[in-house]
Amino acid sequence: MRPPDDISLTRPQYVGAKVVRREDPRLLTGAGNYVADIKRHGMVHIAFRRSDHAHATIRSVDVAAARALPGVVSVYTGKDMAALANPYQATSRMKNYQATFIPPLAHEKVRYVGEAVVAVVAESRYVAEDALAHIEIDFAPLPVLVDPEESLKPGSPKLHDDLESNILAAREFARGEVEDAFANAAVTTGGRFHFTRTTPVTIEARASVAEYDKGARSLTLHCTTQIPGIVRDKLSEIFDLPGPRIRVIAPDVGGGFGGKTSLYSEEIVACAAARDLGRPVKWVSDRMEDLMTTGNAFDEIVDAEIAIAEDGAILGVKADVIGDVGAYSIYPWTATIEPVQVVSFLPGPYRIENYSARVRAVATNKTLTGAYRGVGRPISVFVMDRLLDMAARKIGMDPVEIRRRNLVNDDEFPYKAASGLVWDKSAFQACLAEAADGIGYDALRRDQEKARAEGRWVGIGVASYAELTGVGSRIAVAPGMPINTGTETCNVAIDSTGAVTASFGIASQGQGMETTLAQVVAEELGVKVDDVDIVLGDTASVSHGTGTYASRGAVFGGGAGILAAKAVHEKIVRVAGHLLEAAEEDIETGDGNVRVKGTDKSMTIRDLARALYSDMGRVPKEMRDEIDNLEATKVYDPFFGTTTSASHMCLIEIDPETYKVEIKRYIVVEDCGRVINPLIADGQAHGGVAQGIGVALMEEVIHDDTGQVLTASLVDYVVPSAVEIPSIDVVHVEAELPNTVGGFRGLGEGGTIGAPACIANAISDALSPLGIEIMEIPATPERLFRLIEAARAG
Amino acid sequence: MTTTVSISVTVNGVAQSAEVEPRLLLADFLRENLDLTGTHVGCEHGICGACTVLMDGDSVRSCLTLAVQADGASVETVESLGDIEALGPLQEAFREHHALQCGFCTPGMLMTATDILRKYDLATDDDIRDGLSGNICRCTGYQNIVAAVRSAADKRDAT
Amino acid sequence: MKPAPFDYLRASSVDEAVAALAANADAKVLAGGQSLVPMLNFRLIDAPLFVDISGIEILAGIAEAADGGLRIGALMRHYALETSDAVRQRFPVLHEAMKHVAHLAIRNRGTIGGSLSHADPAAELPTLSVLLDAIIETANPAGGRQIAAQDFFLAPLTTALAPDEIVIAVYLPGLPEGAGWGFEEFAQRRGDFAVAGAAAIVVRDGDRVTATRIALMGVHDTPLRAEAAEQAMMSDGIEAAATAAQEAAEPINDLHGSAEYRRHLVGVLTRRALTAAYERATP
Repeated sequence: MRPPDDISLTRPQYVGAKVVRREDPRLLTGAGNYVADIKRHGMVHIAFRRSDHAHATIRSVDVAAARALPGVVSVYTGKDMAALANPYQATSRMKNYQATFIPPLAHEKVRYVGEAVVAVVAESRYVAEDALAHIEIDFAPLPVLVDPEESLKPGSPKLHDDLESNILAAREFARGEVEDAFANAAVTTGGRFHFTRTTPVTIEARASVAEYDKGARSLTLHCTTQIPGIVRDKLSEIFDLPGPRIRVIAPDVGGGFGGKTSLYSEEIVACAAARDLGRPVKWVSDRMEDLMTTGNAFDEIVDAEIAIAEDGAILGVKADVIGDVGAYSIYPWTATIEPVQVVSFLPGPYRIENYSARVRAVATNKTLTGAYRGVGRPISVFVMDRLLDMAARKIGMDPVEIRRRNLVNDDEFPYKAASGLVWDKSAFQACLAEAADGIGYDALRRDQEKARAEGRWVGIGVASYAELTGVGSRIAVAPGMPINTGTETCNVAIDSTGAVTASFGIASQGQGMETTLAQVVAEELGVKVDDVDIVLGDTASVSHGTGTYASRGAVFGGGAGILAAKAVHEKIVRVAGHLLEAAEEDIETGDGNVRVKGTDKSMTIRDLARALYSDMGRVPKEMRDEIDNLEATKVYDPFFGTTTSASHMCLIEIDPETYKVEIKRYIVVEDCGRVINPLIADGQAHGGVAQGIGVALMEEVIHDDTGQVLTASLVDYVVPSAVEIPSIDVVHVEAELPNTVGGFRGLGEGGTIGAPACIANAISDALSPLGIEIMEIPATPERLFRLIEAARAG
Repeated sequence: MTTTVSISVTVNGVAQSAEVEPRLLLADFLRENLDLTGTHVGCEHGICGACTVLMDGDSVRSCLTLAVQADGASVETVESLGDIEALGPLQEAFREHHALQCGFCTPGMLMTATDILRKYDLATDDDIRDGLSGNICRCTGYQNIVAAVRSAADKRDAT
Repeated sequence: MKPAPFDYLRASSVDEAVAALAANADAKVLAGGQSLVPMLNFRLIDAPLFVDISGIEILAGIAEAADGGLRIGALMRHYALETSDAVRQRFPVLHEAMKHVAHLAIRNRGTIGGSLSHADPAAELPTLSVLLDAIIETANPAGGRQIAAQDFFLAPLTTALAPDEIVIAVYLPGLPEGAGWGFEEFAQRRGDFAVAGAAAIVVRDGDRVTATRIALMGVHDTPLRAEAAEQAMMSDGIEAAATAAQEAAEPINDLHGSAEYRRHLVGVLTRRALTAAYERATP
C-alpha cells in the first residue's frame, strides 16, 4: 500500500524528535496503575495448587479441609471450571496441525509441572496459600516425556489421548534442488544446533483482577496482557458474554516481550470466580509460578547444513527442526508459531536459491511454548549465521566478507527468500558495512592478533538478520489462525473542550506508545504533543483490535493514527475554511492553531471545536451534516508489512582459565525506517540486545528427567544484571523508507534476534584456535569448560 | 492463629501504627495497609530488587523484611522522592535519559541509586553498574539507567 | 510466595533470647533475615516462633584486640564490616571479601552472626572465618562457649549450635605482621553465590613461605581449610598447592556448574589467590 501523497511529515516537528516520555512522571513517582495495585471493595485473592507431577491422571481431589479454613471463600477444581467456562483451543488451518483443548484447571490429567489443578479463593493471598497445603490430590503417575526426540516417536505415550501423536504440527519448505547443490558444492558443513529453553522474565509477573457486575451482567478484566482484544474476543465465547459486556483493560503493564501475548488459564479462572462469587477476584503470579508457567520459548533442535562454492557463495541450505512446544498448543498463536518461524526465516537476508527445511512441533511434558521476543527468528539467525561462519572458516574467508557476498543487494529487491517470504526492501548491505565501520573491524582484527600472541582469548562476532514487521493481512502472524492480526484501529477525536484523544487497540508494556503515538498524531493534526491523550489497551475504546506483538506497535499504531488524524485534519480544515473565510488550500495547522497562510487570521483548534460543537448556527447545517464531528476512526492494514533488518557486531574476551565471557563492545546497526523517537528506538535496541545476551550466555529453563522445573527461582534462572551488559552502540541507517503509512518499521525484537548469533560467533571466533564451534547456547562457563576439555583431549 | 504485633513505623515522614501478623512482609504492609503501591513486588526472594525501599536511610529489600522488623524505624519509599507535578532531581535525571520503559523495576532502582549515591564514590560507570547489580531490569539494558545515575553523581560532586 | 503463620518475639537481651529458644522446641533466631526470610517466603522453613535478636544492642559493635585482631559483635551488618577501617587495616582479605557479598541492600541488613549461623558453604563469611581461625562465641542456657570456626560448620546449612544457642560474637585473632592475602571468587554474576572460591594468607621470609592458610569456598560440605594444600605450598610452591587444593575439594554438581568444572576452578582460583597473597606479603 502506498502512503497517501500529502502526508504532512515533510517538516516534522515531533516525529523524529527526542520527546521525553509522557508516561514517566507517574511511573517515576510510584503513581503507576499496575494490575497488582488495583484494589476493589470486597476483593478476594486466588492462590493455585499446582501439579508437582509432569504427567499423571488425577484420581481424586479432596478440597474439604481447604474450604473449611477460616478466610477461605471458595475452592474450584477442574470439574467446577468445566461447568463455569466453555472449552477452547487454539485452532489453525495449517495442514498437519493438531489442536489441543486447554482446561483452565486440570481436569482428568496433568501434563506439566506447574499446571494449575485447584484454585483457592480467600480473603488474602496469605490465607489462600495456607489453604493449598490442606488439599489432597491423588495422582497416578504416567510416563514422562521430556525429550522431544522421544516424544515424536510413533508409539510413545500420547499427551493427548484424542490426538494421533505428539507431533502437533509439521511443515516442509523447499525451493530449488538442494541435493544437487550439496552434491556439487566445494564445501559443506553443519551439525546439530541446540537453542535451549528460555522464559521472558518480565519484572512484573502476570496478574488479573476480574470484576463482575451482577446488575449489568458484565465482566471487566484488568489484566497484564499485551492482547486485550484477543483476550476479550475469546472470553466472550468462553463465558457467552457479548462484546459490550466483557471488557478487558491492560493498564500499566510491567514488560511483556511476548510472554503476555497468550490467553492464560489464570485469567479464565479469575473471571469465572468473579462471576460465580459476585466479588472482585485478584490473582497475582509469584515469581515461582511465573518461572514455571509463563510461556517458554526458543526450545529447538536444528540439524542444519550449508553448501558453499569456493568463492563463498551459498549454494544451498538444509535444515531439520524439532521444536519442543510443551504440553499444549498455546492460545492464540498455536504451537506452530515459533517452530515454523524458525524455518521460514532461516534463509535470512541471504541469497539462497536451494533450500529445504522440515519442522515438527512436538509436545512434551513441559510448560507451554508461546511467543517471546524474536519468536523463532533468534534460532533462525543463530543457525544461519553460525553456518556461515563455519563455512567461512573452512575456506579461510573473513566472516564479514562472506556475508557481503551473500547478502541480497539493493538492486535485487523485492527479493523472494527461499522460504517464500518477500523482502520488499531494506538496507542489508549498508547495515553490515556500517557495523564493521562502527566497531572498527579491521583494527579489531589486528588487535586480536596481538592479543592472541599474548595468550588472550579475544573474539569478534557478526550476525545479520532480516524480519518482517508490521505484517498486515497478507500474512497471518500465526499462519492459518482464525485471528486477524493484519489490521489495527485508531479513533481520533477532538471533543467539545477542544481536547484531543487518540484511542488504539494496541497496548503498551513499556514501549512508550503514549508518547510516540502522541508525537505522530500531534504532527498530523498540527497540535502540541502534550495536548494529545493516548488511550491504549482498553477493548471498550475501539471495536476491534488485537494488541502489541510481532513488532507492530509503531507500524500499525502509527499508520492507523496518521490515517485517523488525517481524516480529522480534513474536517478541521473544512470548518476553518468557513470560520476564517478562506479557501481550504490556504488553511494550515500547527501548535494547536489553525491559520490562513500568509495572513494573521487564525484561531485555536479549541475555539474551532467550541464553534462546531457548542455554538449553534456558527457552522452551517449542511457542513455539519457532512462532517458530523471532529472525530474519525480508521483501520490500517499494511498488507505485506515491511522488512526490518540489522547487523550486529561484538568484541568479546574469554578468561582463558575460568572461561567466563565478557562482552567488551557491542554495536547494532539497524534499518528501522522512520524513527518516531530516537530515545525510545535506542532503548528498544538496548533492551533487546540485553535479553539476547542473557539468552546467549546464561538463561536456560531446565527440566529434569521427571519433568521437574529446576529453574523455578531467580537464583537458578539467571538473567543479566547491569554488570553483565555492556554499553551498546545503536546506529540507525538512513535508508529508503518502507511503503507503510508514515514510513515506520517495527523494531522491538531486533536486539534479541541478532545477539545470540553474534555472541555465539564471537565465542567461536575466540576459540577457533582450539577448533571449537559453538553449537549450543547458553554458552555458560560450564559448557565452554566441556568443549575445551574435549578439544584438548581429542 | 498467631498473635498480632503492634508496630509503629514512620513512613515517608508520617507516623503509622498498626496491628500486623508477624509474617506480613514489609512490602505488603506498604502496598496493602498503607496504599503505597509505588513499591513493587517482583520475586519475593530478594533477587530482583524491585521492592527496594530505604529503612533508616539504608536501602533494603522490603520483600525480605518483615513489617514487624520495621517497628521503630523510618521507612522511605519512592513516593518520597518527588511527585507528579514536581519530580525530584534523580527522577528528572531518569526521565531525561530515558532510564525507564515499563517502570516496574524503577522504584527499586531509584531507591538503590539514592543509597549508592550517598555511600559510594561511583568514580567510574563500572562502579555504578556494580552498585545497581542487585536491581534487575529487563527493558532498558541498563545503559540509560547508568547514564542517569552518572549525571546525578556529577551533580552531587559539583555541589 | 507468602510465609506460613508464625509467632514473633523481639528479645531485648541475650538471656531473654536464649530462654525463649530453650522454652520453644522449634523456635528460630531472626536477625537480618536475608537468608531466613527467602526461605520463609518459599515455605521451606516452618517454625512456630521467631526470636528477633536485632534489637539487642550489645551484640552490635566491633572492638580491637590487643593481638591485632578484632572482636566483632554478631549483629555487625555486612555493610559496616565493608566500610570498617579496622577491618580494612587488620584483615584486608575480609574487607575484599565483603565487596562480593550479594548486593548493598542485602549487606545493609545481613549480619555476620546470621551468615555464620546459616552456614552456606558457598558464602564468603563462613569461608573467611575458617581462613582466619575465628573463634565463635555463643550464649546458651548454661552461659555460653567458644567454638573454633573449623569445628563450627558441620554440613551444608548445619552448624554445631544447639537449638537454644546463639552466636554473640566472632573473634578474629591478629594475623602475623606482613602477612599477604588473596581472595578469588567465581560467580556467574556479580553478587551471586560463589560457584567456587579460594582465599589465602601467606607469610614470607624473603622468598621463603613461612606460613600459609588456604580456605576453599563452595566446593565442599562446609568451608574447607585445605591443609594438605597449605603443606604443599610450604614445601613445593603455588602449583603444587593448587593441585592439592583440587584434590581436597569435593564439589557438587548443580545447575551452576559440574563437579569437574568446580574442581577446575579450585585450581585456578587457588593459584590466583596464592599468587596475590605471596606478592602482597612482606618479604
